[in-house]
Amino acid sequence: MDYLKFARDVVSRAVERGVEAEAFVNVGQNTSVNVDRGEVEKLSQAGSKGLGVRVIRDGKMGYAYTSDFGASSIEKTIEAAVTLADVADGDEYRSLPAPQPLPEDDLEVYDEAIVELPIGRKVEMARRIEKAALRYDERVVLTNRCTLMSQHGTVAVANSKGISGSYDKSFIGGFVMVMAADENDRSMALGFDFGSRLGDFKPTEVGKDAARKAVGMLGGKPVPTQRASVVYSPMAATSILEALSRALGADAMQRNRSFLEGKIGETVAADMVTVLDNGRLPGGIATRPFDDEGVPTAATRLIDEGVLQTALHDHYTATRDGTASSTGNANRRSHSAMPTLDASNFYFQPGQETPEEVIGGVEQGLYVESVMNTASINPISGDYSISAKGYWIENGELSHPVNEVTIALPMQELLHNVKAVGNDLTFVPMMGALGSPTIRVDGVMIGGSG
Amino acid sequence: MLPTESIRRVLDAGLAKGADLAEVYLENKESLSLILDEGRLEKATQGNDIGGGVRVFYGNNAAYAYTDDLTQESLIEAAGVAAAAGENANNAQVCADLTKGESRVESRIERPFEQMSTQDKAGILRKMDEVTRRHSPHIVSVQCGYTETRRRVWVYNTEGVWAEDDRSFLEFQGQVAAQKGDVRQSSATGIGGQVGLEFFDDRDPVQMMPEAADTALLMLDARPAPAGEMPVVITNGWGGVLFHEACGHCMEADFITKGASAYTGLVGEKVGPDFLTAYDDGTIPGRRGTMRFDDEGVPTNRTVLIEDGILKEYMWDLTEARRAGRASTGNGRRQSFRAMPMPRMTNTYIDAGPHDPEEIIRSVEKGLYAKRLGGGQVEIGRGDYVFTVTEGWLIEDGKLTAPVRGATLVGNGPETLRQIDMIGTDMSLDPGRGMCGKGQWARVSVGQPTVRVPKLTVGGTE
Repeated sequence: MDYLKFARDVVSRAVERGVEAEAFVNVGQNTSVNVDRGEVEKLSQAGSKGLGVRVIRDGKMGYAYTSDFGASSIEKTIEAAVTLADVADGDEYRSLPAPQPLPEDDLEVYDEAIVELPIGRKVEMARRIEKAALRYDERVVLTNRCTLMSQHGTVAVANSKGISGSYDKSFIGGFVMVMAADENDRSMALGFDFGSRLGDFKPTEVGKDAARKAVGMLGGKPVPTQRASVVYSPMAATSILEALSRALGADAMQRNRSFLEGKIGETVAADMVTVLDNGRLPGGIATRPFDDEGVPTAATRLIDEGVLQTALHDHYTATRDGTASSTGNANRRSHSAMPTLDASNFYFQPGQETPEEVIGGVEQGLYVESVMNTASINPISGDYSISAKGYWIENGELSHPVNEVTIALPMQELLHNVKAVGNDLTFVPMMGALGSPTIRVDGVMIGGSG
Repeated sequence: MLPTESIRRVLDAGLAKGADLAEVYLENKESLSLILDEGRLEKATQGNDIGGGVRVFYGNNAAYAYTDDLTQESLIEAAGVAAAAGENANNAQVCADLTKGESRVESRIERPFEQMSTQDKAGILRKMDEVTRRHSPHIVSVQCGYTETRRRVWVYNTEGVWAEDDRSFLEFQGQVAAQKGDVRQSSATGIGGQVGLEFFDDRDPVQMMPEAADTALLMLDARPAPAGEMPVVITNGWGGVLFHEACGHCMEADFITKGASAYTGLVGEKVGPDFLTAYDDGTIPGRRGTMRFDDEGVPTNRTVLIEDGILKEYMWDLTEARRAGRASTGNGRRQSFRAMPMPRMTNTYIDAGPHDPEEIIRSVEKGLYAKRLGGGQVEIGRGDYVFTVTEGWLIEDGKLTAPVRGATLVGNGPETLRQIDMIGTDMSLDPGRGMCGKGQWARVSVGQPTVRVPKLTVGGTE
């Protein structure tokens, strides 16, 4: 089936009702393999498809979706979207984007090797993840949910302004939870890796990484409550980026839901902080030629040496702003959701120091390896308080493991208190596509014993 | 949905290579969602998600294939894909007669969603918005949402299971932001259940909005929360989310059978104070976690998890129950036909205890009262958890003295449970907004009376 032609047909049928219309089609094949002690415990394979129809009339928007591509289902879906638009309230800034020239660079988001990978190879990769974890150390006692996932599919977007485009994408990833135990303690850690290219995916690293973290945290204890320097691993630093990406959305700024509202042009962070969003990063997990409303993706410098430059925009927020243009950040979780503004590959620009040098610069402090409950960080207030695990830093070196502590500091202060940025930019593809080097933040409140 | 004759053919195709058990799961989900933002009904979405899957067991291992095309041919094809994951030439199971199962729950809604127009539903959101904006000049942002979902499921398996369930959920959400100078605070709220339009007979979503606004306003002037160890009193109702996260997940059978949970092997052991009893109950009428049958066709139960401080039972799905050679407790749930089931909580709560809730607060010399909680997370191996307190109060000399913001609670679930030294008489279930994420989303309900933990780490900034 030609999905782009299908999308265009849906648009022309909707237009007959006197509306602006957009069709979004997402079709894919998914495999997931779960192994336990070498055996395939769970295996799931299937194809799925979906269509989302967005219509706008007099600035009033309606949306409907279906997974049934039959003619009567399509009619019903268009009808539902048109009916809902009548219920909605008008907004003068609401419209669909017009076509723009698409750059023709190779974004490396589709790898034929993933598509052709036989199921047997996928099972074998899942086993390699598990084996690497179990062999890492004798204190590794078990793995849980050792999983390999692969997907490939097609996205097509067409609208009544003339946007018409499609692309193929592929994805492979794995994760595992590893438990380590000794006579006094047990600990669990997660290892994972996801990417667009088969060649970049290293199953054994996933297992080893989880095992290393789980074993390292055995015997962890809280440290006394105190204010101290904190060194974030790339994975822990994504806790800062996740809330920051939401606060940097133009929708949050325009609607008074961002602690950075009204701060464009101002210094909001230490001068070694530069924050970028790049939807065209080759091979990036969030890379694609155009966003989910058909606007070409772009590289955007949001914070440059501490100064807030711009916000992330989709077509609506750019229109409403009046002078901005869309940065290509419209995103949908699936065909069943309207596009919303979201970061793509979003990261701190790396600096010069090695991670060892960053840690070495701290006399006494906490190295944070992993964090929990990052969804609680509030991009409206900037309140930031999460739980952390890692190691105590003693004279510039990692000493004993630390757990059951909190780290807290308002985001407004945290960004200004960045004191070192490493050269080890690493993307952490678990929560979107956030990336960070090792960074040091001073004056963080650590909540622990006493 | 499909004639039982077609289902039989699909199940036979699942058994074709000598599998032990084959299962068919069919689903039809319809939903409508309305979002009002900045006083405008901005996003209105409607849709339908239909599909089915076939699961085939070879011993303890399972293979699954699904399709969004619900025809006999597509399902037989899916059965073939799942069956091909194994082969056992010596096994020749036959499909038992399908017998329509009976449930302990008769939760039929009285008035279906269609009896109210979309305009009128939007009208309620407008009212919620107006009331909130009028509440205070410091309110700078109001978002309100309405969602209705009707999810019908059909489950059949070769052991003769034939179960049908029809679940209707109605939900309202609200988010409020307040600002004074450069200080902004926000607050979220929600109410709902498994209910039709009779929801409006005894509940009013407009009322929850000024309360949410008050929390945001209160937090504007609140001082930063303290950091360190102190006694913590946790509110009743939604406060039960702490037990759900910190202990409930550690009692789900998938982590138990692996030996990966802090509660593995502890049935019959003392895990909490004598006056602590806790349940997982999938049969409470109208609650978010209630089902006639779970997503594997097993009738739901009221499971005693902890009785008088003794751990009694875990929560089982079919996969883990087969592994352990026992029966499922009716806790097998899946997000949709695109996912395989796993053991999940339904409506989970700590039962009423012996202490007067006011006395619990009076008993604390210096500590924290967690009046509203946000979300949390647990690491199941050790049971380490973390929680956000969205509205906290300092307790000084037995009185609530000052609101504090930005508090987080961290601890170890099994240890916290053992430490609980007071449980109130005021057990209540949450107002109906719980969503649990464990790789898949599931609607849940939580509950508890007022609870005191004598020593817990609070992660503030002071």
